[in-house]
Amino acid sequence: MSGNILEVRGLRAGYGLRTVLEDISITLTSGDWFVLLGPNGCGKSTLLDCVVGRLKPAGGEICIGGYSLTKNPYEAKRELGYGCAPDALPALLTSRQCLEVHAGAKGLSAISDNLLALAEQMRFSPYLESFVDTLSLGTRQKLAVLLALVGDPKLIVLDEAFNGLDPASALVLKRHLRSRIESRGGALLLATHSLDIVEHYADRAAVLIEGKLRHEWSRDELQLLRESRGDFEAALAQATLDTQ
Amino acid sequence: MTAPRLMAARMLRRNRHSLLGMRGAITAWLGFSAILLLLFIERDGAIRMINWLRAHTLLCDGLALVASALMVARRRALKRAEFARSWLAAVPIRASTARWEALIIEALPALVAMAMLTALAVVIALAILLGRLLAVSLGAASLSLLSVLGGLMSGIAVGVIASFAMPAPKPVDLPPGSRYVPHNRARKSAAIRPSLRALGIWPVRQMFAWAQPKVVARASIPILLIMPLGTTADAAMVAIGMAGIGGGLVLLSRAVILVSRVSRRWMAPLPARAAAVTRALLFPTLGAIVAASAAEILLLLMFDVGFIKAFGGACASR
Repeated sequence: MSGNILEVRGLRAGYGLRTVLEDISITLTSGDWFVLLGPNGCGKSTLLDCVVGRLKPAGGEICIGGYSLTKNPYEAKRELGYGCAPDALPALLTSRQCLEVHAGAKGLSAISDNLLALAEQMRFSPYLESFVDTLSLGTRQKLAVLLALVGDPKLIVLDEAFNGLDPASALVLKRHLRSRIESRGGALLLATHSLDIVEHYADRAAVLIEGKLRHEWSRDELQLLRESRGDFEAALAQATLDTQ
Repeated sequence: MTAPRLMAARMLRRNRHSLLGMRGAITAWLGFSAILLLLFIERDGAIRMINWLRAHTLLCDGLALVASALMVARRRALKRAEFARSWLAAVPIRASTARWEALIIEALPALVAMAMLTALAVVIALAILLGRLLAVSLGAASLSLLSVLGGLMSGIAVGVIASFAMPAPKPVDLPPGSRYVPHNRARKSAAIRPSLRALGIWPVRQMFAWAQPKVVARASIPILLIMPLGTTADAAMVAIGMAGIGGGLVLLSRAVILVSRVSRRWMAPLPARAAAVTRALLFPTLGAIVAASAAEILLLLMFDVGFIKAFGGACASR
C-alpha cells in the first residue's frame, strides 16, 4: 500500500481490435485536482471508464487508495465516487432512490449532512421525489455529481460534470469540490473541455491526444501561468501543436 | 438538389442492410416460401376465400379505401411533425421536390401495398397466359383473383386521394415512461435511508412503463376479436384478465433482463456485492411473477369452465 490515491501504470485499453489508450500513467496524491483535457474522441471517457471499472483494460494496472482494481475491486471501489453521464442514470427510479441505492451499495447508514447541504445549495432538493426521466439535463447532471460524492470517497471521478449546469450551481459545485479535496485529503480526476477550471481550480492538468498523454502541467507550471496571467488557451494549443 | 429525406432513408437502409447481411434475406425468403406452402396446402380454402372476396367486392374495396385514407392521413400528420424536428428541417429544397418527396413518404404504405398487389397480379396474369399457351386451364379463380386485386388497388389509390380531404389527426407523443408508474411518494422531509430495495421495484416499474394505456388498448383488440360468438360476459372478462396477466408476465420477464443489464453497468463503479444486488433485484420480481402466475392459474381454471359452457352452448345452438 502506498500513499497515492490513484495510480495508473502502463494502461492500455480499446474496443475490439481498436486500441484507444496506450501506455497511460497517472498518479494522484492527496489534495490533487487533476484535469484531463483533449480533443473529442481522444479517449478521455475511455480512460475514466477504465479507472472506475466499467471497462476492462487490455494491459497495465490501476490502484485506488492502494488497492488494485483487478485484484481487490471491492476495496478499491469503496474509495471511489463516479459521476456517470446523465443519460446513464436509471430513468424509472426517483432521485431519492438513486441516492439510497448508492448509499446502500457503499454500506452507509445515512447520507452525510454535507451532501444534503450541497444538494440544497444547488437547488436540487425539490427534485428528490421526481423520476429521473422527468428531470432536465442540468438537474440530472446535478444528481450524477451528488451520487459521485455519496460516502465521501477519496477519489472522485467526473466526466464533463459541468455540462448543462447553470452558472450559479456550477460555481457552488466547483467551490465545494475544491474545499472537499483540500479539507479531506481526497483527489479529483475530471475530464473536461472547460479551460476556466484549469485556470482557477486545477492543481495539475494533462492533455490526451490519440490515446497518449502528450503534455502535463505540474502544480508549479500552472501556478506560474496564473501568476504571469498567461493564456491557457494558447498554452494548450502550443502543447497540442508541439506533439504533432 | 435531390430529395434529402429520401436520400437519408436510402443511406440508413443501406447501412442497416450491410449490418443484417444475408440473415435478413434468408429470413424473408423463408417467410415467403412458408406462405406459398401454406397457400398450396390450403388451396381449396384459398379458392373459397377468393370467391368470397369477389362476391363482396364493393365491401372489400370500400374497406381498402377507408383503411388507406385513415392510414395515410395519420402518417402524414406524424411525418410532418417528425420533419419539423428533423436534422434535415433546415436543408434548402425546391418546393416541387419537397411536394413529391412528401407525397412518397406519406403515402409509402399505400404505395408498397399497391406494388405488392401489382406484382401478384402480374404473376397471376403470366400464369394464365402460360396456361393458355400450354392449353391448361387454371380455372375461374385466377380471373376472380385478378378482379379482386384490381378492385383493392383502386380502393387504396382512391383512399390516398381521399386522405387529403380528411382532417389531420393530432400527432401523439408517448409521455415519459414514469407517467403511468405507480409510486408512493415519500415525505419531502423524510430521511434518505440507504438501501438496495429500489432495485427490486425497478423491473416492475419498467413493466408498467411499457404497458401504457394506449398500448394495452391496442393489444386488447385482437383478444376481443377472437372471442367466439356466444361467449358470456364473465368468460370474456376472465379471458381479458388472463391475457392481461400473461402479457404482464412477458413484459416483466423482459424488464428483468433489461434492468439487470442496465443496472450492472450503472452500478459497476460501486462496491456492491454481486449476491446482495442479485437478491435485491430478483427477489421482489420473482415474488411478483409467482403471484401473477398463481392468479393466472386461478383464472385459467375459471375460464376453462366458462369457455366450455359457452362453446358447448354455441355448438348446441347450431
